[in-house]
Amino acid sequence: MKKLISLSLIAAMGLSLAACGGNSGNNETKKTSEAAGSSVASEAGSEASEKKGGEAGSGTTLAVGIWDENQRAGLQEIMDDFTAESGIKAEIQVVDWANYWTQLAAGASGGELPDVFWMHSNESQRYMDNGMLMDLTDRIEKSDKIDLSKYPEDIVKLYQLEGKQYAIPKDIDTIAVWYNKAMFDAAGVEYPKPDWTWDDFYEIAVKLTDKEKETYGLVIAPDNNQAGYYNVIYDYGGYVISDDKKTSGMDDPKTIEAMKFVDKLVKDTMPPLQLITENKEDGLLLNGKVAMAPQGSWMLPAYKGNDFAVENFDIQVLPNYNGKRVSIYNGISWTAAANTTKPEEAWQLIEYMGTKEAQQKQAELGVTMSAYENTSDAFVNSFDKFNLNAYLDMMNDMVIRPYSRDTVTWEGKFIEHMTSVWGGTEEMEEACKAIAAEMNDTLAAEN
Amino acid sequence: MQRKPISYRRQRRRSEFLWGWAFLLPTVVGLIILNIYPIFYTIYLSFHKSGDFGRNNIFVGFQNYAKALKDMQILKAMRNSLLYMLMEVPISVALSLVLAALMNQKIRFRTVYRTIIFLPMVAAPAAVAMVWRWLFNTEFGLINHILGKKISWISDPKISLVSIAIIGIWSILGYNMILFLAALQEVPNDYYEAAELDGAGKAVQFFRITLPLISPMIYFVLVTRVIAALQVFDTIYMMMDRTNPALQDTQSLVFLFYRYSFVENNRGYGSTIVVLLLLITLIFTVLQNYGQKKWVIYD
Repeated sequence: MKKLISLSLIAAMGLSLAACGGNSGNNETKKTSEAAGSSVASEAGSEASEKKGGEAGSGTTLAVGIWDENQRAGLQEIMDDFTAESGIKAEIQVVDWANYWTQLAAGASGGELPDVFWMHSNESQRYMDNGMLMDLTDRIEKSDKIDLSKYPEDIVKLYQLEGKQYAIPKDIDTIAVWYNKAMFDAAGVEYPKPDWTWDDFYEIAVKLTDKEKETYGLVIAPDNNQAGYYNVIYDYGGYVISDDKKTSGMDDPKTIEAMKFVDKLVKDTMPPLQLITENKEDGLLLNGKVAMAPQGSWMLPAYKGNDFAVENFDIQVLPNYNGKRVSIYNGISWTAAANTTKPEEAWQLIEYMGTKEAQQKQAELGVTMSAYENTSDAFVNSFDKFNLNAYLDMMNDMVIRPYSRDTVTWEGKFIEHMTSVWGGTEEMEEACKAIAAEMNDTLAAEN
Repeated sequence: MQRKPISYRRQRRRSEFLWGWAFLLPTVVGLIILNIYPIFYTIYLSFHKSGDFGRNNIFVGFQNYAKALKDMQILKAMRNSLLYMLMEVPISVALSLVLAALMNQKIRFRTVYRTIIFLPMVAAPAAVAMVWRWLFNTEFGLINHILGKKISWISDPKISLVSIAIIGIWSILGYNMILFLAALQEVPNDYYEAAELDGAGKAVQFFRITLPLISPMIYFVLVTRVIAALQVFDTIYMMMDRTNPALQDTQSLVFLFYRYSFVENNRGYGSTIVVLLLLITLIFTVLQNYGQKKWVIYD
């Protein structure tokens, strides 16, 4: 009897654990409105393939997975053009960034990925290495619409492994500073000029900080590496990861110098950490709590839909350090599942999204800047209330977002340390050295 | 003529046996696929360095365990899970017992109260978390607005676990109450009548009659709640961001398991964490199982 009880208890425990995992998945599905992620995507996929028996052409519906709700409307519009042309329907399903990768990994293990989806440099290596993505090399060669030389080489390379191409670049992003003009006016500070240095930046941020009134000059969240501190590191001549992806640059003296400057910004010009985590960078900007924040070009759809932002915000290029002004950049891409039941349709959609026309339209709609060469002017003209030219100017000197095979692992540790520095429980220099050690361990294990 | 009934009986016994299993089969298959197999697979994984997408697992023996038992983060998470359990279970059981006793009286609007208290059980956890996030917000939250103070409920390492426990207690109160109510209604009225004749007051009645008679239900609730509380995940996951300064002092073992298994794709280490949790849960359950002999009264 006793054995029976304990056995059933163990079973109950397992059940609740399993239920726990399942639940959280469901919640996310609810949270991100209707359909989400790989499981639902594959359902939609199999439904469609049942209807059509997988035959190419009209009536087929492709499940498309992305992580940015702000881009959904614009992308759907472009995909509607595609449907009108080819008769293939595309259904976009949005899952937020953190859960996107969880669900994609689960889908990959279970062999149920969406037909077409976004890929990012943080994860691309693992997916390519494990044969999860469709090899597009031959198709690209035969295509008269796709010419890989029209996209930035660094971005094309992110999705390459052993001479094979697994994805086509979707966009390109750079970083610039968003600032609240009203707060500059109120403090009697001049708006930033394109030639400002990081020292000017610091001084302006200090002037705009009033700790009594709890308004602050600047916010960079501890996990904002790409739009935040990575840029400072490269301006100062430091680096995050070596070109051969074998060693960390976080203990490089120049990197440490840059990060110490960031530390000064944190201590003198930023809100306390709890305020940052509870309200996020965009929340603080939009509530008038903070006057400046470096933000990626992908944030445009979020701000241009907000009245307060349209009325008060503007954009300036990043500051420079002794004339060096680097923008970290990255580009996500369109890729397909290796085991999709509709490879032909999936390729057609990817090919279409990579054409000059589609990329031009993406920029015109102000969804993001586009990867295709010379289409970004359209992005600048997509919205005239902000100085979008700043993002274009930042393209003059770019460094690709630091990555390796297991980016997520070391980035996680990195952010953990930064969180303690921001919270005041760790010294910046120690943190950088600790990150370097942990990163080197991870990198050594990669090979 | 003697043989026929015997073979008939045998045949019948055989068909009963087959039918019995046929009816059991769906449950058994479900249990094996959804519970038993994952449990053993998790244990298997905990001895491996896992490859990408569940391929190429490398056997590493007890390496994961050796690492986990020295990992400050995991030890802290263990402490957090235990503290959470120690806050959530006693308080929620005590409160829901009192509420159940009150709701068992003949008072006005009884069904209304019952519904209100049970409501959190029905609400979607994600929605609940959104509301609590706002209530607990330091700058713009309702609670601080009413108190006129600036307490960082979920980002102050000293109190964030308490805040999470408050949500936990609030959400489970109704469910426990319903269970206790069911038990209370099983208690025959004669006992109370007899006690009243003997001059026992309400309090004495509660401690001498009610509590002992519903002790099997209290035991059941305690065991299931301890197991569930040790597995706390969803509230923490939805309330805390990875840049929250209080994260280290709040994250539970299951939260860490999730992070390692599903965010960092380190299934092996994640499984180790969850096997450790399994051991802790077993210890608590066995202890309770021994303890119950002293206080649970079965008639």
